[in-house]
Amino acid sequence: MQQTVAAAEFLAACALSRVDAVGGFARDGLLSSQEVFTQQLVTGLSNGMIIALIAIGYTMVYGIIELINFAHGDLCMLGAYFALTVVGALGVDQWAGTGGIMGLVLVLVGTAAFCGSLNWSINRLAYRPLRKASKLSLLVSAIGASFILVNLGLFWGGLPMDVFADGTSSAAPKAFPALVSAAPAAQIGDVIYSRTDLLVLCVTLPLMVALTYLVRFTKLGKAMRAVAQNPTGASLMGIDVERVIGASFFIGGSLGGFATVVYSLYNQTVSFQMGYRMGMDAFIAAVLGGIGNLPGAVLGGILIGVIRSMSDGYLEARWTNTVVFGILILILVFRPSGLLGAKLREKV
Amino acid sequence: MIRRTASIVAALTGAAFLLAAVPLNHAQDKPSKTLKIVSSLPQTGSANAQTTSIVNGIKMAIEERGAMVDGFKIEFEAMDDASPQKGNWDGQIESANAKRAIADPAVVGYIGTYNSGAAKISMPLLNKAGLVMVSPGNTAAGLTKPGLGEPNEPAVYRPSGKVSYFRVVPADDIQGAVACEFCRNDLKAKKVFILHDRELYGKGIADVFKKTAEATGVEVVGFEGIDAKASNYRSLVTKIRAAAPDVVFFGGTTQTNAAQVLKDLRAGGAKIPFVSPDGTFEKAFIEAAGKDSVTKEQGGVYITFGGVPSEMLTGIGAKFVKSYQAKYGEIPEAYAVYGYEAGCVLLDAIDRAETKDRAAIIAAVAATKDFNGALGTWSFDENGDTSIRTMSINTIEDGAFKFVRTAGGAAKAK
Amino acid sequence: MAISSKRITINLLLIAAVASIPIIEKFVPLGLHISDPMTDVFVYAILGLGLNILTGFTGLLNLGVAAFAAIGAYVFAISTCEIYPFQLGFWSALGLTMAAGALAGFALGAPTLRVRGDYLAIVTLGFGEIVKDVLVNMDSITKGTQGINPLPPPTLFGHELGGSGQYWLFMAIALLVAVGARSLERSRIGRGWISIREDELASRAMGIRPDHAKMLAFATCASLAALAGALTASRLSSSGEPGNYDFQISILALCIVIVGGIGSVRGVLLGALVMVGMNSIVLVKLTELMGGSDSAPPAALAEAHGLQWAFLFVKTWAQNVLISPTNWKFLVFGLALVLMMIFRPEGILPARGSKEDAPDGDEGAGGVAGGVTGGGVSSVATKELRP
Repeated sequence: MQQTVAAAEFLAACALSRVDAVGGFARDGLLSSQEVFTQQLVTGLSNGMIIALIAIGYTMVYGIIELINFAHGDLCMLGAYFALTVVGALGVDQWAGTGGIMGLVLVLVGTAAFCGSLNWSINRLAYRPLRKASKLSLLVSAIGASFILVNLGLFWGGLPMDVFADGTSSAAPKAFPALVSAAPAAQIGDVIYSRTDLLVLCVTLPLMVALTYLVRFTKLGKAMRAVAQNPTGASLMGIDVERVIGASFFIGGSLGGFATVVYSLYNQTVSFQMGYRMGMDAFIAAVLGGIGNLPGAVLGGILIGVIRSMSDGYLEARWTNTVVFGILILILVFRPSGLLGAKLREKV
Repeated sequence: MIRRTASIVAALTGAAFLLAAVPLNHAQDKPSKTLKIVSSLPQTGSANAQTTSIVNGIKMAIEERGAMVDGFKIEFEAMDDASPQKGNWDGQIESANAKRAIADPAVVGYIGTYNSGAAKISMPLLNKAGLVMVSPGNTAAGLTKPGLGEPNEPAVYRPSGKVSYFRVVPADDIQGAVACEFCRNDLKAKKVFILHDRELYGKGIADVFKKTAEATGVEVVGFEGIDAKASNYRSLVTKIRAAAPDVVFFGGTTQTNAAQVLKDLRAGGAKIPFVSPDGTFEKAFIEAAGKDSVTKEQGGVYITFGGVPSEMLTGIGAKFVKSYQAKYGEIPEAYAVYGYEAGCVLLDAIDRAETKDRAAIIAAVAATKDFNGALGTWSFDENGDTSIRTMSINTIEDGAFKFVRTAGGAAKAK
Repeated sequence: MAISSKRITINLLLIAAVASIPIIEKFVPLGLHISDPMTDVFVYAILGLGLNILTGFTGLLNLGVAAFAAIGAYVFAISTCEIYPFQLGFWSALGLTMAAGALAGFALGAPTLRVRGDYLAIVTLGFGEIVKDVLVNMDSITKGTQGINPLPPPTLFGHELGGSGQYWLFMAIALLVAVGARSLERSRIGRGWISIREDELASRAMGIRPDHAKMLAFATCASLAALAGALTASRLSSSGEPGNYDFQISILALCIVIVGGIGSVRGVLLGALVMVGMNSIVLVKLTELMGGSDSAPPAALAEAHGLQWAFLFVKTWAQNVLISPTNWKFLVFGLALVLMMIFRPEGILPARGSKEDAPDGDEGAGGVAGGVTGGGVSSVATKELRP
């Protein structure tokens, strides 16, 4: 993990050496149409990668217990509050040089552990008692959990700490300190590649690779695939199904934890209501790619990010949601199980 | 047996219906020594911060008078017109609040609402029932001013034909125009990019801003409604960069992501002034925007506000600021002052009213002349609007609001 | 399936009891104020009953039912409001609204027949977001976030109805819809829906045409949701803003159906009472009980150390947020949902014949709801976590 961030910093430093000074609008601000397109693509990809990482958590849980985990976005929201608390309590934003990178790693890993454990506990308390109940009861339980998490976020924002503005207005959005400067890492023509863009890439890509390895080549991954395919069969083969479910909640949650730190560093704002959109985008991404399918979630996330960005840039921003959902519906009408989803077969 | 039970039940139900049809008004004005004021504001969800400070302001107004006015004990209840499922104002709850207030004979004043959309639901109800309504937050022009909203506004909110709705905040039409003039005169803007949050408040101001800009020869290079729940606006910023405006105006509030728009603007390298209305005139906006994006070097942030900011207040206003600080440990937000002012003007009217019934109190509020309050000395006009037309322009320096100058003023008066 | 006469008596007594609430309120000064929130309960009951037909009977998960309510409210508003040229009366506008709702349901249902299970859920969710956005953005027609007002109040034989009148009218409509849903459930159509929920392929083999049946379910659901939207609009004399019909309302409707007991008409009625009543009665009472709160100046945390610091920290925190009752509403609501599901996973009044003794699927999801969203798709063959 540390290497990853170090690599990010290295890349950023390399890039920085050939940055022009950025002030006001270079060349009277008139970007060429190609530059505009590239810039929108960069923005879309960055946003998309974050969405993808959250979507993986969604899709893992879905793949294993067929639950649309409504609480996942709000779990990420609490993760952001946790990260902000750690930053505030330890003063991570003041750490310079190598310390800064260490701090970033600490926040990333800490938040991932926090989100993973929280997701595991939610599974234990709110979903596990419903294992034998219907899927819809499980769904309502997830909705309930999401409301509880939102309220915890509201409480959390009232902590009398500097980073929460002394907690005087717990519901207001909070600024997340720029641990990674939002300054441009590179500027080619008028296209700005910011350090946060690089950060997104340097955190999300290795995680996706690691996860693929885990699911494909490890014993736990094999067990997860077995449980996803047939829980009864898996348990007959001696797999502890509950443990595997718990593990996937933990892994999905911790990926959400990583994602939420990157999200917070990229947007520099956290609010107790941000979980709704995070969860929604990730949910759409997961479905678009074929829910339960890990590469599908990544593909879906990137697509959603890019579509949003292009629609904001070339159409009107107020129609962006309509465009995203319109494309989603069209794709599902023609490919009813998502882009990479397994073809659904009828019971014979 | 069953049939007999059924017919008895049916007969009872029928009788009950008949009885209920007889109008029964036991909610008559019994002589009571307790009067009640209620507020109806969205306290669950995103507007919680502002509405809490409004409620604090109202409470202070009441406590300052020892909860007694003219020998009558004043009670206060803060009602919530938001539901947890929505996290925002809910028409059904607002309507229920209004009805609850109407049904309680002790209630003589209704302070609310925060959202103009909610006001549209409770205004006709309260007007019909003859209960005075004082709003600390509604700014949609059509609520009071003929000719600025729909053709049937504002008459549609006054089924009784009388004005019973008053507001202590200046409406959008003044603020949008003032903001535009400031951009043209002080910021020397030739090209503006206008963003709004697609809400009643934000879009209303943005529309006025646009109209003023077009009338005064400022080129509008973009007019976009944003998605207030989006995680960031980087793509929009690229679009803004491509249009190269001198100023970005955002019609919206802290809750509809003003701070995020500003941060993305800075992250995208747009070092131009950012102008927004009083929905962002709160400490929470500065906190959310972070110290780096609000500095002058980054282009500067300018915020319009109806009336003068608290630290510029003199007399009663200054006293309010001091006691608020003592009580809550912080400089009051703009919203707190509006709440306080709404409370004060209502209590003042109750004091002046000969009899303490609802009709007399409406008349007393309407007769408010040269009221010496926290926002200055002002009156209600015949539409129920405040006569304050002075707006102030504020900027942010060292993480705090700083007064720049006043704007608007008497030129806009009828 | 003979309805016992005891049941009729109980039902009639219940109806009489509910109908007498406004009267009791009028004569017994207990400060109840529940007839007004109860009127909302009836509206949500209609919404829930509509959703129950699609999700409960037919097994198609719909996360966008609020969109149909929005369509209902706006069609009603545009066809009655004085600023538009149509200005229909209450009842004719209601009829038009239901027709428009059915059309919208048909428009969504027809192209998405192939889409199943959770994929359908997200299509409906997307539809909801699109409708909301269109209503906001087409502001030349819909007035955007302004809302459309005033709207005519409910009338009966030319008389405008006030509080109690509306209560009884809405109650009557809700009852009518409930009885209708109950008889639909037992009719040929309803049995067709249920057979699709249980096993689409088998039902096709039995001569049911799933496509027709599904579209009919979509249209009925949408039509009832539109009715609920129109009734609310008429009651509030305003269409509200499009944001009032967002995803959260769809979720609330779904919770009503599931908490009450999916597939059970009586359950849905009870679900509406519990979910909406919690809002209007329990949460309001909670606020009153906890009383007004006062925040206090922040303590001097900087000077404190050790235990004293911890004490002050917690105290300030409590004063900042915990003390205010409104800050607890999400938690109370969420906790209620989770606990209700854990202790009564089948809902408060589960549909009959949907007990645990039903043959379990592989995922152990037996009963009525087990078929929902799985939607006749063999889960064994297709469920797969693909790296």
